[in-house]
Amino acid sequence: MRTQNATAYRFLTPYLLIFAVFWIWPIISSFLISFQATRTVPWRFAPAFNWGRLIGDPAFYNALKNTLLILVIQVPVMIALAIVMAVLLNSPLLKARGLYRFAFFAPVVVGEVAYSAVFRLMFSLDFGIVNKLLNSIGLPKVDWFSNVTPAMALIMIAVTWRWAGYNAIIILAGLQSIPEDVYEAATLDRVSKVKQFFHITLPLLKPVIVFCAVLSIIGTMQLFTEPFLITERGGPGGGTETLGLLLYRQGFRSLNFGYASAVAYTMAGLAIAITLVQLWLMREPK
Amino acid sequence: MAAVTLTNVVKRFGNFEVVHGANIDIADGEFVVFVGPSGCGKSTLLRMVAGLEDISGGDIAIGGKVVNDVEPADRGIAMVFQSYALYPHMTVEQNLSFGLRMNGNPRADTERRVKRAAEILRIDELMQRRPKQLSGGQRQRVAIGRAIVREPQVFLFDEPLSNLDAELRVQMRVEISRLHKELGVTMIYVTHDQTEAMTLADRIVVLKAGNVEQIGAPLDLYDDPANRFVAGFIGSPKMNFLSAKVVDTSNSAAIIELVNHGGARLSKPLRDAFPAIGAEIVLGVRPEHFFEAGEGDCDIPIKADVAEHLGSVSYVYANAGPEELIVEREASRQRAGGDHFTVSIKAERSLLFDKSGARIR
Ligand SMILES: Nc1ncnc2c1ncn2[C@@H]1O[C@H](COP(=O)(O)OP(=O)(O)OP(=O)(O)O)[C@@H](O)[C@H]1O
Ligand SMILES: [Mg+2]
Repeated sequence: MRTQNATAYRFLTPYLLIFAVFWIWPIISSFLISFQATRTVPWRFAPAFNWGRLIGDPAFYNALKNTLLILVIQVPVMIALAIVMAVLLNSPLLKARGLYRFAFFAPVVVGEVAYSAVFRLMFSLDFGIVNKLLNSIGLPKVDWFSNVTPAMALIMIAVTWRWAGYNAIIILAGLQSIPEDVYEAATLDRVSKVKQFFHITLPLLKPVIVFCAVLSIIGTMQLFTEPFLITERGGPGGGTETLGLLLYRQGFRSLNFGYASAVAYTMAGLAIAITLVQLWLMREPK
Repeated sequence: MAAVTLTNVVKRFGNFEVVHGANIDIADGEFVVFVGPSGCGKSTLLRMVAGLEDISGGDIAIGGKVVNDVEPADRGIAMVFQSYALYPHMTVEQNLSFGLRMNGNPRADTERRVKRAAEILRIDELMQRRPKQLSGGQRQRVAIGRAIVREPQVFLFDEPLSNLDAELRVQMRVEISRLHKELGVTMIYVTHDQTEAMTLADRIVVLKAGNVEQIGAPLDLYDDPANRFVAGFIGSPKMNFLSAKVVDTSNSAAIIELVNHGGARLSKPLRDAFPAIGAEIVLGVRPEHFFEAGEGDCDIPIKADVAEHLGSVSYVYANAGPEELIVEREASRQRAGGDHFTVSIKAERSLLFDKSGARIR
């Protein structure tokens, strides 16, 4: 038994080494860096330098506010949408199910840059199809990129478009694991389809929905691509700057590694905290 | 009052017909068992009665009213599924009361019904548990309880005991019997286990490949099966089928020769039909209807391959040419593999079938 384990670990060594160097060490290192003033040479230990700045930094609060706003609106809307899509996909009336399943999943596979470019085109003020459609039903054009509220909406729409199908596929798997005869029993109990959905489907899907919500929360906490590419680095005027973008700006533009590390740890801490609250709220009753 | 009547009921899945015109009359309060091998259409018939499958042809009436287009919930039936189909996220109590609560049944009445069902099935202790925390037998009770609270006119059971171990199955079988006596309502019960059918049923419907082969009281099917299939299906161990040839007929009997048993001959009195001389036929003899040498009308010598001693009886498996015979003997420790002995067949304790399997009486 012992030697067997030892052999197994010897085979694992290359992976464990890489894991230690490129995962564990950066995590520890950035934690340490967050306590150092990194704009002096040499770096010196100054715990209050970054963390103190964070607490008073309006840019940080702006990014935090934007991130949480997106989180609070986009994640529930997307999960709700994903549930609806999954239920439709699961309908026995649907033809060509495989095709739809692929279509829903496709956005995740599309390159981020390509998808951002397409979104910029679609939402462009004068040439975009979205404004043309709005016009054609008698609504005024929206300047998606120069005003904060439409820009935020645009980010949420884009993220939702990209990830709703992905979540729908996961939820679909959950739906398919609910045995058919439970619904038949409910039908015999004179429970309408709508009530079946709310009293049977949703409760039984809860673990899957929690899983999707946790994944989405973690993803949204790190949101970067969309505000970077679609609204051009958090524009207009930082109106869509997220924590991910602030981290990038501090770490890679200003080369302020200490502050960027503090932001990174704040993001991770928030994601963990929100997830724990979520898990606690959705816990199985004893 | 809820008699159930199936008239020329047909079921097709696409172009594939699985039930070919079933006619079954079930009286109010009767316990009827649908029995047959896997895939013969038992569940499909039951699900049509429940309204979970559409009817492709014919009529189903419950309590004298044709229900072909009536919603399942309005048919006055309750069904117990093979897999129990309990709501996994609800406690036993919630499982029992769910349907009533969803339909705005007065709370006091719901509580009364749940309490009564719990008492009948002795599951009061389990009310706050979830299905996951129950044993198979307990889950089965809850599933039956959920049917009871609906106070249906007809209970439908689809192989309710097949997921239970042998001992529990016997116990639940007795409970279902008791339940039928207590509630006095019509019950339709599907199983592929002939023992369950024999022990539970007032009447048995034997099905084969979507056709009703015979309907009758358990012992009537045992004594007087309509064909070789029913004869083989009812009774355990199975009836033996011996190849035979008609060598002579008189005006009241046929003389047949058992071709695999050294030309042993038996005179079998007949009433209706007389097979032609030379016709190949089959003689059916139940394992329990072999007698001691000389006691019957035709002795055949056999050689035992294997003997099974169950304590109360012994079964001797004997190979006679291409035919395997199962012979029941009184409990005896002496019989063993390799023994030669002679058994005897009585004409009145044997059945005759023609080559197609139809009974010759
Ligand atoms: N939804 C369906 N679509 C197509 N064919 C079906 C469907 N349901 C059942 N069948 C077919 O109908 C026939 C009867 O099926 P059914 O489930 O009634 O058999 P059963 O007698 O209950 O068998 P078992 O003892 O295995 O439960 C089978 O040949 C089966 O393949
Ligand atoms: Mg079945």
